[in-house]
Amino acid sequence: MALGTSFGRVCVLLVLGAALGVPAVAQETGETAANPGWTFQYNLEVRANYRDSEENRFPLPYAFELDQLPVGQTRGFEETVDAGSHFEFSNVALFATVGRGDLFTAHGKLDLIDLYDRNPTSTGQKVDIDEAWLRFGREPETATLAARSGVYLKLGKIPKFERQDDRHLQSYGLVSTAFNRFEETGAELGLHLGRHFYLKARAAAGNPVFLRDPNALAGDNGTPELRRLNPDPDLKSGVPILYNAHSTNFDLDGELETGAGVGWRLADEGGRNGLDLLAWENRRKLADTVRIHGTFYGGDLDILSAPPTRVGNATFAIRNDEKREVGGNVWLYLGGFSFFGQYVDQDLAGLPRTGVEGEVAWRFDLPLLWAVGGRQLFPSIAPSVRYSKLDNDFRNPPQTPSPSFSWDWEKIDAGLRLGLLTGLDLTLEYADNRFILATGAKRKNNEFLTTLAWRLR
Amino acid sequence: MRRGSPPGIEIPGYPRPSHPGLPRTGLFAKPREGATVGSPGFQSRAAQVLVLALLTLLTVPAGADDLHGHIELLAKGGKGPARGSDVRQTVIYFEPASPRPVKPPEKPFEMVTRRKAFEPRQLVIPRGSRVRFPNEDPILHNVFSVSAPNQFDLGLYKGAPGKEKRFEKAGLVRVYCNVHHDMVSYILVLDTPFHTTPDASGEFALPGLPRGPGKLVVWHEQADPWTMDVELPQKGPLAVGLQIVRPLVPSHLDKTGKSYFRSRGDRYENR
Repeated sequence: MALGTSFGRVCVLLVLGAALGVPAVAQETGETAANPGWTFQYNLEVRANYRDSEENRFPLPYAFELDQLPVGQTRGFEETVDAGSHFEFSNVALFATVGRGDLFTAHGKLDLIDLYDRNPTSTGQKVDIDEAWLRFGREPETATLAARSGVYLKLGKIPKFERQDDRHLQSYGLVSTAFNRFEETGAELGLHLGRHFYLKARAAAGNPVFLRDPNALAGDNGTPELRRLNPDPDLKSGVPILYNAHSTNFDLDGELETGAGVGWRLADEGGRNGLDLLAWENRRKLADTVRIHGTFYGGDLDILSAPPTRVGNATFAIRNDEKREVGGNVWLYLGGFSFFGQYVDQDLAGLPRTGVEGEVAWRFDLPLLWAVGGRQLFPSIAPSVRYSKLDNDFRNPPQTPSPSFSWDWEKIDAGLRLGLLTGLDLTLEYADNRFILATGAKRKNNEFLTTLAWRLR
Repeated sequence: MRRGSPPGIEIPGYPRPSHPGLPRTGLFAKPREGATVGSPGFQSRAAQVLVLALLTLLTVPAGADDLHGHIELLAKGGKGPARGSDVRQTVIYFEPASPRPVKPPEKPFEMVTRRKAFEPRQLVIPRGSRVRFPNEDPILHNVFSVSAPNQFDLGLYKGAPGKEKRFEKAGLVRVYCNVHHDMVSYILVLDTPFHTTPDASGEFALPGLPRGPGKLVVWHEQADPWTMDVELPQKGPLAVGLQIVRPLVPSHLDKTGKSYFRSRGDRYENR
């Protein structure tokens, strides 16, 4: 109730702000591009990584049977997924977009390999339709002015509208991972009233609640190996958080998640400088269980429950089957400077959580000194820092197999992105990933990541 | 454009010019290799100035008149002089009520892309002229304009001689690069031979204008155009103050109507 009240207040404030707000910045040239006919665009992106992950393991209170543990081990651990230094091809993605002016756009993205988005385990889908949607009408880009009042409808597997749509680092923040990193299957309706004010609504299958390690490489919970006697899989559990997992199918069965957002934007005509504010809410009923590809664990309420052990309860103190999220986002662009911030307040079956995240980046265009194949060598450099924090305001059951669900998390990602050539860049980043155990002790699970990304357009 | 506006903004303390200079010719010259109308090197050659002066005399109709004056660039709001703006980038042109068609030259004008900039930054050309855009940078550029009715898109290319475009309609053409947001230039396609640019102090002269009614326009890339209906001969010099209201790189979208800063595709885009 309190959440609804606060969301309503935010909406009223934004509506008032829009009504009283600064008028559109005068069009400086009065010129717009001719409405194009059919357009077709395709892209290929390949990413390769060097990763060095700290090796950490944290003992679990859960009383596993001895045959559920590796030989010689008497207790279970949450462990770094794949510690040490590794070279990896992390993703190959194919994109295609077909459009006809503002009338119609069809977009698809196919991921191959995709170590970092694979859901939720390394035995998940290795070929994944990451996005597949149709859009009717014009959807203005984030923090740019709408050309005029209008409406759009988007159908298919689509990104959440509150998601950060351009990141400067390869990694994700805790809040993005926990709440809005992954696409969902459904419909999104956008309404732009004037050039500044907008409303969005959606109905979607919703992402099942599951667990994953927030560091770059996904955890390996629930692989078939764990069902053997004395399992000792190569990839470990990770140190997971609860998150809204990737939708692995296009079904619209069951309870739909509904969402609404109200936003206001201010920008110059070219979008060099822009501000976008969005307040939003999502809600749905949690299922007793959701089948997730690649794991024998169930999602939603199932992941919050575990069989009681011989010494006690292993189920979280869930009070209902409601999931509700209220949040606010800020996008700010000032020339080469950009800031993205988000706040989320979640009630997950009576388990309260909040998250806050902010990313600043500054892109510098470098002078033209050398060129290769008609493209500038070293065209830009962009340092970036992201802070994210996840407060889990609930307690673990005494016998939880996943104590990290309720730890408080704090992560600082700092990196530098160097353009090598247009379409080819190198990102160096370090994740300082800290958490506070139930005992109050502080621990870290850090990671260094280098990513070489190549995009062919 | 303002029509029928008062004859200039009187600038307090501004001394009336006693003798108008001839900073640049008002007639279109034939473009040649390495020289374009309005390029300082071209004007600095005394012999060419002499030839142009003679040409001016030959083309001046009976009863020709001069128009001279002073341009001052003012900060936004008109409070004091503008900083960082070049008054020599102003174009003053006169359109007689009875149009004087200008035959476009056979050879194209040139606007070169060099060090991620257009050179010259602005061109004044007669309607029907061609402009060639050689790319002297080692990287690809995409020269385009969405200025109706002269819009064009030359696509990605590099090297010389470059691609060209014929401008069939009079008007201002804002030229950009679809790859590099900060590359900006202007082509003023005119239907009149009577135009000039001021010198560094803002003095200008338009010699050999036909007597009778017409329209005088003062244009600067960072200001709104200043327009006045005039009846020649005009008494005394003009004093015009132009307020700078736009940055050197005006806010603009790419050739598809999208922001350069959201569609760059060099971030880890999620869509």
